[in-house]
Amino acid sequence: MTAQSLPVRHIDLSTTHKDTHGGDAAAFSVFWWKDLPLGMRASLPEELPFGEAQLRQFAAEFGAAQLAARSPTLGAPLRATFEGRPKQALILAHLLGADNLVDQLDRLAAPSGMSAQDISVVICTRDRGEALAGCLKSVTTQQTPPSEIIVVDNSVDGNAKSICRRFPEIRHVHEPRPGLSVARNAGIRASCGEIIAFTDDDVELHPSWTAEVGRAFLDESIDALTGLVLPAQLDTPAQRIFQLDMGGFGTTFVPLRFDHRFLEETRPHGAHVWKIGAGANMAFRRKMFERIGLFDERLGAGAAGCSEDSELWYRMLANGGVCLYEPRAVVFHHHRRELSELRQQMRSYMRGHVAALVAQYDEFGDRGNLVRIFGQLPIYFLRTFLKGLLEGRNGRPETLTAEVAGWTAGLQFLFRSGWRRQRAPRLSAGGAGQ
Amino acid sequence: MAYRLVEIELSKPLEAIEFAPEESGVGLIARWHDQLVGFEMIARPSGSMLSAEELREFADRHFAARVLIAKVEHELAQSAPPSAALSSLSIAICTKDRAQRLSRLLTSLDAVRKNSSFAAIEIVVVDNASTDSTTREAVERFDGIRYVFEPKAGLNFARNAALEAATGALIAYLDDDVVVDRNWLIGLAKACRDNPGAGGFTGLVLPYRLDTEAQIYFERRGGFGRGFYRNEFRNARFDNPLHPVGAGVLGAGCNMAFERKLLISLGGFDEALDTGAPLPGGGDLDIFYRVLRSGRTMVYEPQFAVYHEHRETIAQLRRQYWSWGLGMMAFLVKCRRSDRELRSRHGAMVRWWFVDQARALARAVRGLRGRDVNFGIAEVWGGIRGLAGEYDRSRSRVQAIRELNR
Repeated sequence: MTAQSLPVRHIDLSTTHKDTHGGDAAAFSVFWWKDLPLGMRASLPEELPFGEAQLRQFAAEFGAAQLAARSPTLGAPLRATFEGRPKQALILAHLLGADNLVDQLDRLAAPSGMSAQDISVVICTRDRGEALAGCLKSVTTQQTPPSEIIVVDNSVDGNAKSICRRFPEIRHVHEPRPGLSVARNAGIRASCGEIIAFTDDDVELHPSWTAEVGRAFLDESIDALTGLVLPAQLDTPAQRIFQLDMGGFGTTFVPLRFDHRFLEETRPHGAHVWKIGAGANMAFRRKMFERIGLFDERLGAGAAGCSEDSELWYRMLANGGVCLYEPRAVVFHHHRRELSELRQQMRSYMRGHVAALVAQYDEFGDRGNLVRIFGQLPIYFLRTFLKGLLEGRNGRPETLTAEVAGWTAGLQFLFRSGWRRQRAPRLSAGGAGQ
Repeated sequence: MAYRLVEIELSKPLEAIEFAPEESGVGLIARWHDQLVGFEMIARPSGSMLSAEELREFADRHFAARVLIAKVEHELAQSAPPSAALSSLSIAICTKDRAQRLSRLLTSLDAVRKNSSFAAIEIVVVDNASTDSTTREAVERFDGIRYVFEPKAGLNFARNAALEAATGALIAYLDDDVVVDRNWLIGLAKACRDNPGAGGFTGLVLPYRLDTEAQIYFERRGGFGRGFYRNEFRNARFDNPLHPVGAGVLGAGCNMAFERKLLISLGGFDEALDTGAPLPGGGDLDIFYRVLRSGRTMVYEPQFAVYHEHRETIAQLRRQYWSWGLGMMAFLVKCRRSDRELRSRHGAMVRWWFVDQARALARAVRGLRGRDVNFGIAEVWGGIRGLAGEYDRSRSRVQAIRELNR
């Protein structure tokens, strides 16, 4: 299943009625209605090209899901279930009078005309070399330019500076103290926008990303935003394992509100905040940082491993904040190419995850975090192991050992009392400037 | 214990359902502007009622999402270009000693064949070695039906006889224990228009009645239901490495249609499967599998629907589960021999099937569900027997029948 290369292709179902694929190779299809992402599907050569009826069925099923999630007359917006899936709220009586649904879909897919004047884009990078240029190009060619673009260079010698110089609108900030959280906090302190949007150095932005971030924050009730992370390419086995066997960075294509209730529902099992989104595509109001503090510098790449983003969401939801997941804000992520890199990544994910659970337990005292460490995770490892015995590759033995190793490594944080006393740094109010 | 089958039209106001003393629930067949969109069963104490309000809430939860998709699909289809005219159709019914059920089916067909969009329609009844003349007499009571007698007893003998006698470009097979839905032909026509080049079609199978414990139990356990979404099947599937070996997901043999030329080129049905009493299964799996392996598409269309009279007694039902296991394994043994290219998948399917059955059995034992255990054992036992030379036994039986009728 992950044996052959899987070229990523994009199909706009609002205009495509005939699939021109030659049927000679497998493909990973991403479906759109104009600029609105609808869904994705991996297909073997035998399943291609899609017939006209199949394309129409995709359009109908995906389109209906968008209408149910986005049309206020049909029950939108949707809350997230504890699994991070949409809670359906359709009422038959409202469907009776609902006509011109395709026109409605067109309206939902209309591009955002929002300005991005209030948005500071922060990209943290570390020793990426030439690959950074692709990311920066996509940031500087947004349909709606943001008010500022800050690259926080987390390398020791500031080696991203030469690449940044090619883009005059980019500000280069050197933060030699290692750690993704440290770099992100430096970016926040250096920025002046009311909304701070983060992306990583291994992604490319969809051209309407800033405009969609701006549109989402029109809703005064939300404090944070996450968006859709699509695979940029699936050329290597490691990339396909990550996307297809492990779910990539999420597979939900409808907007969801994550609020206090989501936290309450999942609290007994450690609050599934990692289902909210991914650090490669997220944004916050500055006010939110002023209220609850910055990223926890004990977490994240370069420190415990990762989960600095989900820990911040946890803190935010626990303090009554609301995060909107809006898949209209799209980025394309370059997954790790090599299996060894993927294993390394899974190890640090799991290590960071355990660290974040410990940190959350210390700050809020929710026992669910411990249930997650000592109950859910071991059960998950065992299940994956048994599944691997039964199904071979589908049980992804490639990454399981790395995950278990990461979990074991993460347990150390339980015994480090000095580490456990630390907290996330604060942001002084009105704190623009370095 | 009995469930009443109730049709509800979701585009109109819903009305309360009252239960008679002998009724313990309801099977809801939901339509939206006559299009089938859902089937659900609700258990209720006898003598109670389901208020209009409760029914509305139930419909919101279970049918609304499907209705929305149907509406969007309808709008999208209107902008699609008109498609080519339809070819001729033969409807083949294979029956043995069941004149009453046959009449019931022919009556339902009479109602749908009047104004169809197919160029021509013929109905062929294959009398599969009935012991008396009642089948012939039943056919004679209807107009314009061709009667063919097949002396070799066995469902796939009869299906092949129909294939030979039929003249249509498309041939639709119906078992004699079904009744067609009023939109059955419209559904098949839609499937043909939407999928030019498809080799075959399968459709929805709903219960004809839920009057006995066995019928209710069977439908609750999934019945023949394959859902209300169109589905397309090809020679391989990304999300299922065993496909097309698990061809049972495609549909059921009691309601299927094929391009006739294709069936002839594939050599028709395997007469050693679906032979009637000794090996009453596997024939549909086999033909679906061979169509897919020939590189042609199969399409499942929910509007192409029939109502199936499920087994009446628990003993009959137990035998049906036994025959599923038997047919499945006989089919796999055959495939493993005839289609060497996919041998590893056949082996994997056998393993997966037994593990899956064992898991279901373990769940049933843990839940102290005696009936599930009973049926589970029957199915596994059928599977073991099927694996242990049943296909060869069936071949020699079939050969004997052929020689007897030479």
